[in-house]
Amino acid sequence: MTAAVLLSSLLASLPEIIVITGACILLIAGQFVPKGQEAVLVWASVAVVLLAALVTFTLSGGAQPAYAGMFVADPFSVFFKSVFYLAVILTFLLSRKYTDIEGIGGSEYYVLLLLALAGMMIMASATDLLSIYVGLELMVLCTYVLTGFLRREQRSNEAALKYVILGAISTGIFLYGISLIYGLTGTTRLDGMAAAVTGDPLDPGLLLAVVFIVAGLVFKIGAVPFHMWVPDVYEGAPTTITAFMSVGPKAASFAVILRVFLNPLVAGSNVWIILAVIAVVTMALGSFVALVQDNFKRLLAYSSIAHAGFAIFGIVAGGADGVASVMLYLLIYTFMNLGIFGAVIMMRNGNFSGEVIEDYAGFAKLHPGLALLMLLYLFSLAGIPPTAGFFAKFYVLVALVERGFVLLAVIAVLLSAVAAYFYIRVVMVMFMREPERVFEPALTPLVAAALAVTAAGTVGIGLFPAWFLRLAQQSAFGG
Amino acid sequence: MAFPLLSLIVFVPAAGAAVVMLLRSDDAVRWAALGFTLLDLGLAIAMLAGFDTGISGMQFVEKRVWVPALGISFALGVDGISALFVFLTTLLGWISVLASWTAIDSKVKLFMVSLLAMQALMLGVFSALDLFLFYVCWEAMLIPMYLIIGVWGGGGRVYAAFKFFLYTLAGSLLFLIGVIVLYFEGGRTFDIPALMALDLPFEVQSWLFFAFLVAFAVKVPMVPLHTWLPDAHVQAPTAGSIILAGVLLKMGAYGFLRFSLPMLPEASVYYSTLMMALSALAIVYGGLLALAQDDLKKLVAYSSISHMGFVTLGIFALNPLGLKGSILQMFNHGVTTGALFLFVGLIYERTHTRSIADYGGLMKVAPVYTGFLALFVLSSMALPGTNAFVGELLVLSGGFAANLTLGAAAVLGALLSAAYLLGMYRKVALGPSSVGARFKVRDVNGREMAAILPLAIFVLWVGLYPKPFLAIIDNSVTHLLQQVHDRGDGQ
Repeated sequence: MTAAVLLSSLLASLPEIIVITGACILLIAGQFVPKGQEAVLVWASVAVVLLAALVTFTLSGGAQPAYAGMFVADPFSVFFKSVFYLAVILTFLLSRKYTDIEGIGGSEYYVLLLLALAGMMIMASATDLLSIYVGLELMVLCTYVLTGFLRREQRSNEAALKYVILGAISTGIFLYGISLIYGLTGTTRLDGMAAAVTGDPLDPGLLLAVVFIVAGLVFKIGAVPFHMWVPDVYEGAPTTITAFMSVGPKAASFAVILRVFLNPLVAGSNVWIILAVIAVVTMALGSFVALVQDNFKRLLAYSSIAHAGFAIFGIVAGGADGVASVMLYLLIYTFMNLGIFGAVIMMRNGNFSGEVIEDYAGFAKLHPGLALLMLLYLFSLAGIPPTAGFFAKFYVLVALVERGFVLLAVIAVLLSAVAAYFYIRVVMVMFMREPERVFEPALTPLVAAALAVTAAGTVGIGLFPAWFLRLAQQSAFGG
Repeated sequence: MAFPLLSLIVFVPAAGAAVVMLLRSDDAVRWAALGFTLLDLGLAIAMLAGFDTGISGMQFVEKRVWVPALGISFALGVDGISALFVFLTTLLGWISVLASWTAIDSKVKLFMVSLLAMQALMLGVFSALDLFLFYVCWEAMLIPMYLIIGVWGGGGRVYAAFKFFLYTLAGSLLFLIGVIVLYFEGGRTFDIPALMALDLPFEVQSWLFFAFLVAFAVKVPMVPLHTWLPDAHVQAPTAGSIILAGVLLKMGAYGFLRFSLPMLPEASVYYSTLMMALSALAIVYGGLLALAQDDLKKLVAYSSISHMGFVTLGIFALNPLGLKGSILQMFNHGVTTGALFLFVGLIYERTHTRSIADYGGLMKVAPVYTGFLALFVLSSMALPGTNAFVGELLVLSGGFAANLTLGAAAVLGALLSAAYLLGMYRKVALGPSSVGARFKVRDVNGREMAAILPLAIFVLWVGLYPKPFLAIIDNSVTHLLQQVHDRGDGQ
């Protein structure tokens, strides 16, 4: 590797380098931050992310392969990295007060989030099964730790343990798939895989490898049948981390899935049939089980399973529109889901957990403005226009119908009618019940800023989707 | 581009909602809402005044690019069919604000915001020339209406709101798939006039016809998808009922006129007998149910099912008389049933009971109230000289021309409506005064009169001199039928 090639590789991965370096500096410098001055950590972390974002946008020109084809900086990865930056910055803003209340506000918290971000960024840019694996592990290891961050709470410890064990198994399955691919084709590079297949693309060995890789990746997005960890982990983790996990790592896993599944080798093995089944079952399970939840975080966990199912429909559709529809879906989901989680995080104040749906009774009477905001996020999650959530679903359906999957589209909309029920049930509790107890949400300026950004995204993309749609279409690959 | 009158009409209530949100006192909220709806009514009248009855196509057309990548535009326009509904919506919007002046005393601001948002979206539905825009408005109405029923409704409001929401949502989502299929069939366009010119294979038309039918039939509502309506009506506050009956129910029928007939002509012709049979069923079944009610509001709600049956009967008669009659009848039903719900609301505000058995002799204590009630009751049963007579006569003539048996069945419904309406009026207004003894009932005041009078004027105006109203719809109906029969009669 000559110096020039190395330099261009380093340049292409500069955002990742910035985030990792920043995390390391923060890890050391964070030890010297006096008690009560933790706000510095928030701003330093935000600054690191903003710097990385700035560099990322300068790289958004064309595709720049790096590190001998293991990594690429292309518009597709830039789009996903923007989603990650957004998710992580909003998480920082939401965390400030919450970590104080929970007593977990050390510098490790922010460092781990930054490292998870770095892992996600590597996943979005990875073009080799091994670099995907490295990014994936960096990301999940950080989230394992963050899940168990409420050290004194049994539920948090249990969730972390469950997550680690199940996560390790899924990683093992994924690695086994990679090794099978390598054994059969002699390469782990995504673009080299299809070319390396000399015989029948439906070779049972290859099929098995593909199934293993599918299983490993599907675990990360919490799709059926690998969804069992989601409700427990979402419930047990600190709410800020739950919020982060529901959008960031999920989007990163979708980035990988898009790259892997639309690879000619995988696409040629009729994997879409497996995916279609997974999508239907995932949506059905997420929607129906959410109906009976009393805990808001668990409800949102099942809702996130259902949303993952809907986004998988976009992958099933495939093609440029299919890819773009998944990307747009994830961007919009980031806004609306962080919005609703922001509201839940805000409720955590004093001895008030904000986790039981019944706690929200009469919320509209006590805090009409905040209730309207939650109404917006909930209706957006339910996919009612003119919110962004509708447009997200609409575009996925367009991609499905374009490919002739009308029946799948009908199933998708009927299941989202079921899903709408539990969102409007929360609205009902907020607006149509009398308040039982008075509470003061922890509405700090930072939380308010985060809620304002998410609300602007939820309304803005709904009313003016054109720019975002074009961005997604231009960043998508395939055709 | 000409003066964007339609955009203004759509956005004035939306702006009103934004302004109202900033106000503090409840009274300021009420006056602002009244001001904005009045302004909107004025704009709608200006639109009607500038409407050229000689043109069959779209007028006041505006078009702006919205989402170019998917061929979506913000396109508005009205023809004779929609112009009347734009006007009706603004009229009832203004009356709804008046009707909720004292009836709504909690969370007034949120109520008025919902009401104004509702109005903006309904106007969007009636003037949209882009299918995507139409769908967005159509579906977004669920949010304010869900709140109106669920927050300010009666005892069973939560259940009723849920039922309304889920029925309509499930129906509309299938419609959405239909819309997307149509989008690809039409070569990636949501432009309504372009889609009307499509010539789709019968197979595709049939599928789309039923996908659309579910959504529209829920809204109308046609038997057997009607069960959400009595619940929603009975629980909704007065203004909610006025809007539901006056405007919302029209949207289903409007959908048939705007989409099913011109875009799917062959399927419309092919399934017209089925649709007429369902309509006749709704007329008779709704009438029988109304006959059995003791609750005033339920009675009016079931009568709506029956009356909307006439509307769909007229549409699927697919002849000029039936079609004109059903459009006029939609307008009439909005006026008359809107008024009846207003009257139920007024008496409920005073007595807090809706059971017919609790009343009697109301005429002695509230002569003005009962006098006007008589007018609207007579209008609802289509007595000559009132608006509904003209509409029903046209519908029945059209219905008989299309199918003798089903026309005859519909006449039975007209008889039933006389039975339950006169029965109701006798029990409520006539006889010895038992109401006066039990409740302190005062007669209508000036504000209430302001809501009643315009409706009364339209009852008599359309009843005695329907020509200007028919002139508005005339050309558009002829054009629509030409579209249907040119392409649909090949079957």
